[in-house]
Amino acid sequence: MKRLWLPGGFVAAILLIALLAPLLDLPNPIRQDIARRLSGPIPGSPLGRDEFGRDVLSRLIWGARTSLGVAFASALIAGAIGTMIGLVGGWFRGIGELLTVRLVDVILCFPPILLALLVVTLLGPGAATLILVLSVLYVPGFARVAYAEVLSARSNDYVEAVRALGAPTGRILLRTVLPNIAGPVLVQFSLAVAAAVVVESGLSFLGLGVVPPAPSWGLMIRGARATMEQAPLMLLWPCAALTLTILAMNLLCDALRDWVDPRTPARRPRLRLVDRLLPGLLPPAEPKPETVLDVSGLTVEIETPLGAIKPVEDVSLSVRAGETVALVGESGSGKSLTATAVMGLLPPAARPAAGAAWFGDRDLLRLSEPELRRLRGGAVAMVFQDPMSSLNPVHRAGDQVAEAIRAHQEVSVADAKARALDLFRRVGIADPERRLNAYPHELSGGMRQRVMIAMALANRPRLLIADEPTTALDVTVQAQILDLLAELKRETGTALIFITHSLAVVAEIADRVTVMYAGQVVEQGPVAQVFGTPLHPYTRALLGAVHESDAAPVGIPGVVPQPHAFPTGCRFAPRCAHAIAACSAAPPPLEEAAEGRLVRCIRWTDLAGAKAA
Amino acid sequence: MRWFFRRIATCLVLAWAVSLVVFMTLHIVPGDPAELLLSTGGIAADPVAVKELRIKLGLERPILDQYLSFLGGVARGDLGTSLVDEFPVTKEIALRLPRTLELILAGTLLAVVLGIPAGTYAALHRGGLFDRIVSGAAALLLAIPVFVVGTLLVLVLAQMLKLMPAGGYVAFAQDPAKHLTLLTLPAIAIAKSLAAVVFRMTRASVLDALSKDFVRTARAKGLAPSRVLLRHVIRNSLTPVVTVLGLHMGTLLGGTVLVEYVFNWPGLSTPLLRAVEARDYPMVVGIVLTISGLFLLINLIMDLVYAALDPRVRAA
Repeated sequence: MKRLWLPGGFVAAILLIALLAPLLDLPNPIRQDIARRLSGPIPGSPLGRDEFGRDVLSRLIWGARTSLGVAFASALIAGAIGTMIGLVGGWFRGIGELLTVRLVDVILCFPPILLALLVVTLLGPGAATLILVLSVLYVPGFARVAYAEVLSARSNDYVEAVRALGAPTGRILLRTVLPNIAGPVLVQFSLAVAAAVVVESGLSFLGLGVVPPAPSWGLMIRGARATMEQAPLMLLWPCAALTLTILAMNLLCDALRDWVDPRTPARRPRLRLVDRLLPGLLPPAEPKPETVLDVSGLTVEIETPLGAIKPVEDVSLSVRAGETVALVGESGSGKSLTATAVMGLLPPAARPAAGAAWFGDRDLLRLSEPELRRLRGGAVAMVFQDPMSSLNPVHRAGDQVAEAIRAHQEVSVADAKARALDLFRRVGIADPERRLNAYPHELSGGMRQRVMIAMALANRPRLLIADEPTTALDVTVQAQILDLLAELKRETGTALIFITHSLAVVAEIADRVTVMYAGQVVEQGPVAQVFGTPLHPYTRALLGAVHESDAAPVGIPGVVPQPHAFPTGCRFAPRCAHAIAACSAAPPPLEEAAEGRLVRCIRWTDLAGAKAA
Repeated sequence: MRWFFRRIATCLVLAWAVSLVVFMTLHIVPGDPAELLLSTGGIAADPVAVKELRIKLGLERPILDQYLSFLGGVARGDLGTSLVDEFPVTKEIALRLPRTLELILAGTLLAVVLGIPAGTYAALHRGGLFDRIVSGAAALLLAIPVFVVGTLLVLVLAQMLKLMPAGGYVAFAQDPAKHLTLLTLPAIAIAKSLAAVVFRMTRASVLDALSKDFVRTARAKGLAPSRVLLRHVIRNSLTPVVTVLGLHMGTLLGGTVLVEYVFNWPGLSTPLLRAVEARDYPMVVGIVLTISGLFLLINLIMDLVYAALDPRVRAA
């Protein structure tokens, strides 16, 4: 809205001046005074006089009247005719559409000024010709907008309803459809006015628009051009007036369009200042030789306009060679951010604020970008959730895999292609020679995910991170992909971190599981133990939800809190059936319940006891 | 392939529609062209002379007959002779079309060469100083009419600073350096809006591409940043830029008329404007048909480029 005021006010001011020109007590814009031709500012003529001794300020203001008069008249006529055409074409479709919308589309095959010149040849120059030509030029624009809007409006419930009531077509179009397409037509109107001002001034500049001595900005520029050596300022005034008017109109058009069609919300939801807890600055632990990846105390911070938030806080997990660790939680629990932090692929606003991610003897969080790049896609690879959007639509599937190979190994294009073919075979792509040259849109969802997996395996990674690799796929395909991953892991001994919100998948594929809630680890341990005797109420709720259905845990009331609104105490307390006052008082620590089993709940012993009893 | 033939067929149908519109305009617009032509100055034309001219223009024949001979002429490349000096219209066009084409090509090239890198840089450093300055400049460039830019360029660079010639034309074969110097200002004037449009579109589509999953995939593969940028960001941003280029070709072709006039570039616009003033119908019709045909052809090429860039279009 704010963006509408400035250009809107400017355009309104120009319109007002143009409208009020007769009342402004200006000198006659066409009265010549050869004695004072090309004089600079003199009393009564603050901007001087032109090549015929006419007052420049007066001609400028009367010129605005001409230009805007022509532009508004033609945009109004084009708007009325074009909108009607679009309404009729969109409503009747078929032959009606052909005779209306498609027919006026032919006008678009002409460069605008050329069509205008054709008509000027026949009718001679003049304001009336201009209005006729410009109206014709902008009819297709209105017709298209109205047509598109009618098509979408006619399927709407309220139009259907009026139709079902048996209202006559004309009345439906005028009373029901027209008001609803007013916004886009208004935008089109402002575009047409701005474009008409440009074409009018251009034709007048060529001497084929407004007929002298009537004032027009285009004609003034034409006149001043002849004398620009003696009086360059004479040229500047109409140029500035024209440019500023068009600029203001363009800005107004943009603002109007945003206002009518708010495709992107102008403002993000306001974030409340986070209660900043003491940063969990754990001393980075030493690398553990037996693990492939050892994440300890990872905290991810995101700068927001209203302070930093920590969507991932103090997360620790590790994975050994040949082992599968599942990372489980609802959307927004911080699973994907944890993975992208390890990969060094965090979005620009986010950064790892604390902790370490030991990969061998290197801390992935502290590696330089070039070093990290050598690891990414090489020793550490990742498979993403949606294979359609994760593959580049304009490159062939085989090329995208070959590209991954050549990023890490010195091989020729042909060799890379041959290896890509091997990989395609290995991940079970049928007819691999043909699929190599297929574009992603020519492959099925499961096939695309196999391509993604082939890409990730291209350089024999020691660690594979799979971020919900089956969520976007059909159930039967899901099972195939899971089998494939399990098989590949067995063959290669790759460590696998499997991110998912589906506990059924965890049971099938993982050795150990880490449950995350609101950016924190709430429970961790071997799959059999965690599933058999869940210690945290959240894990138990998740498992309970699964027993009812295979989908997301609908059984837990409420949603994961947003990072800027994390509770001070236990983050699950507001949704927990077992919460007591102490739960909300202070953040619960992550306790070791048994060898290799961690839980973040102050009541876990009580609850375990209660359950046993 | 089917897509390709369908697109060619559409183009031919449109070309036919354009010729029909031009022909119809001559016959639908009220008033007798012959009478209009002869009655300049407000004095009624001599009926005998009008009759003679009508016969010469073929206006006495049945309209369908006229249309068929017009269509036949267009198909043969015979667009008649000028009413002013009897010069064959096709010859005049053949002489001047290459010069207009050169201007269009130079302008488009300049716009692309400036617009795409600037748009990419602005997107990569979004909100930075460069982005803010160039985005503002682009809005201003879009608002200044092409003939204003041309006139101001002449005023400042030619008249005041005496850095460049004010306009004119020398054949390339005669003096290549002089030819290119004379081409510079008109090409800049032609390129200015297009460069602004290309800049805006590139900036928007690079920003869009940067947030795409496949760019994250490219980075996850460990590709070098330059390769990610070229093959996965810019390559994918080009399709919308090509679309926008095609959409603005109409304005560009109209702009050449003004620019050629401002810089005395002897392309198609000189005979066109002279013919419009003298109501030399065959010449106006010939040139309008040529430029409109060119417009259709450019749009066809743009669509083919688009299809070459995006495999999904070819499949549809």
